[in-house]
Amino acid sequence: MTGQILQRLPGMAMKARRAIARRSLVHRDAVVGYLLLLPLLGGLLLFRVYGFGYNIWLSFMNAGAFGAPKFAGLDNYQKLLGDTQLRVAIANTFKFAGIAVPGVILVSLALATLMQHRFRGQSAFRAIVFLPAVCLPTAAILVFGWMFQTQYGLVNSALQAIGAAPVSWFGSAAGVTVVVSLLVIYLSFSVPTIILYAGMQEISPNLYEAATLDGAGPARQFLSITLPLLTPSLFFVIITTTIGALKLFDVVYVLLPPVDHSVSLNYGFTLVYYYFYLAFLETGQRGYAAAVSLVLLVIILAVSIVLMRLQRRFVHYGEHG
Amino acid sequence: MQAERKAGWRLQILIALVGLIILVPFAWMVATGLMTTGQTLMVPPNLIPSPPTFDGISEVFNRVPFATLLVNTIAVSFGRAMGTLVICAMAAYALAIIKVPGTSAILVGILVLIMVPGDIFIVPNFAIIASFRMTDTLVALFLPSLFDVFGVFLLYQFFRGVPRELIEAARLDGASHLRILVTIVVPVARSGILSLAILSVLSEWKDLLWPLVVNRSIDKLTLGPGLALLRGVYTTDWNVVMAAGAMAALPMVAIFLILQKQFITSFARSGLK
Repeated sequence: MTGQILQRLPGMAMKARRAIARRSLVHRDAVVGYLLLLPLLGGLLLFRVYGFGYNIWLSFMNAGAFGAPKFAGLDNYQKLLGDTQLRVAIANTFKFAGIAVPGVILVSLALATLMQHRFRGQSAFRAIVFLPAVCLPTAAILVFGWMFQTQYGLVNSALQAIGAAPVSWFGSAAGVTVVVSLLVIYLSFSVPTIILYAGMQEISPNLYEAATLDGAGPARQFLSITLPLLTPSLFFVIITTTIGALKLFDVVYVLLPPVDHSVSLNYGFTLVYYYFYLAFLETGQRGYAAAVSLVLLVIILAVSIVLMRLQRRFVHYGEHG
Repeated sequence: MQAERKAGWRLQILIALVGLIILVPFAWMVATGLMTTGQTLMVPPNLIPSPPTFDGISEVFNRVPFATLLVNTIAVSFGRAMGTLVICAMAAYALAIIKVPGTSAILVGILVLIMVPGDIFIVPNFAIIASFRMTDTLVALFLPSLFDVFGVFLLYQFFRGVPRELIEAARLDGASHLRILVTIVVPVARSGILSLAILSVLSEWKDLLWPLVVNRSIDKLTLGPGLALLRGVYTTDWNVVMAAGAMAALPMVAIFLILQKQFITSFARSGLK
């Protein structure tokens, strides 16, 4: 029957048929599309959306060692306010980040500047710069622990060789801060270096030529040309490094294992370490751990937002926008 | 481009020094690993093991199931990379090529999730994995991280660059979406696929917190957390700890040296990771 109608009203029918075909094609495409998205969305629904809700629910619970969690109202949130250990963890987190992030930026800026030159062993140097990013972090952390060991460590022996007194690196807040910050810098400068390197490559050589003609030296060129034109990559690197540093766990955990409570509790606890400690090394603290995890989330989001605001103000995106 | 300025000899020396400083921890790890325990307890320390010995290396196998840890690491990294690639490629195809209704809402959701630190999910994810009775399994190590929102975003950007005409021509020839994904989109966007594979393997390789949470028995761990357990228990035998560290770091360093270019491009793309 359709065929007869088609023969009689070819123009109209063709149009209608095409529209129907298109709609069903679009419809079928969408179904296929949603099927393709299903594994991702299903996984995210379980491990992220449900997980987030579970964290919020748990933060209102008293999850004791035995039995089901009991409703605890705002107890966990009240506890946050008076928790001195949490304050130590937050202070340590910001202290490590406050030292390591500028350190990473300075080191990677210096390395990226060096790499702008042509020199012998260029490709070997590039490979060396990336070694810390591909080596197993645990291995690097262990070797730093050994180098800063009090009695037989390389660093203290070097200090003694030049007549200085050996330092008990893991016995004081300052010592731990130095070793942890150095480790964070060592483990995280590689990727910022390549991003800043690429950013520097994009700056037009004409600008440098003009500046040289105007009599500007290398330092002046760096401050007036390189830095301002590098701000997009620079801000990107600052944001990612800061967020990474606020989530610090592996360095402090391997360097200051929980068997040595007095050291890790006071000098080494970062927010993530404290959260992990509450949730898995203590008993009956999971509800409170969930509340601490939300503190971590709020801090990271707040810092990200502040940095992005600053970015909008300070970043120079060049003449093209 | 300010590049291609030739470095003078002073700069050349500076560069060599910087390179050496970066290498010091690696060199010291290898040197200590080749010492006896007695040699590690010298003041001032011997910089070069004399004579070098494999005692430390053979002792590693008595202290930790090193071979098991290595095999686990390879298996888990492979599982993670494959799973992430399949899930992310399918999703990115739906978003970038089919452009299903609601694509922009899903993309916004993905960008929001990229901002949320994954560490806050260890308690709920542990509860989920425990309810599946999957703690202490290798699959538990990578299951929650398979659904990688950053990976979807990365592939989405690559898939958008695939020429529209190629896809439309294949559609007219009656090719199914799955076929187009496998035979056209993935090959055209192969550098994005390779980047995501490298980044996934590396993140699994470096992960410490989640493995420590979900797997308690050492023969179900990867190298990183497995070696972390060495510390605190055997703090005195640094030659053993360093031998283990050097042996554990070696495979990825070797892979990196072979695939250097691909690694560096992937790092440059790693962006928000």
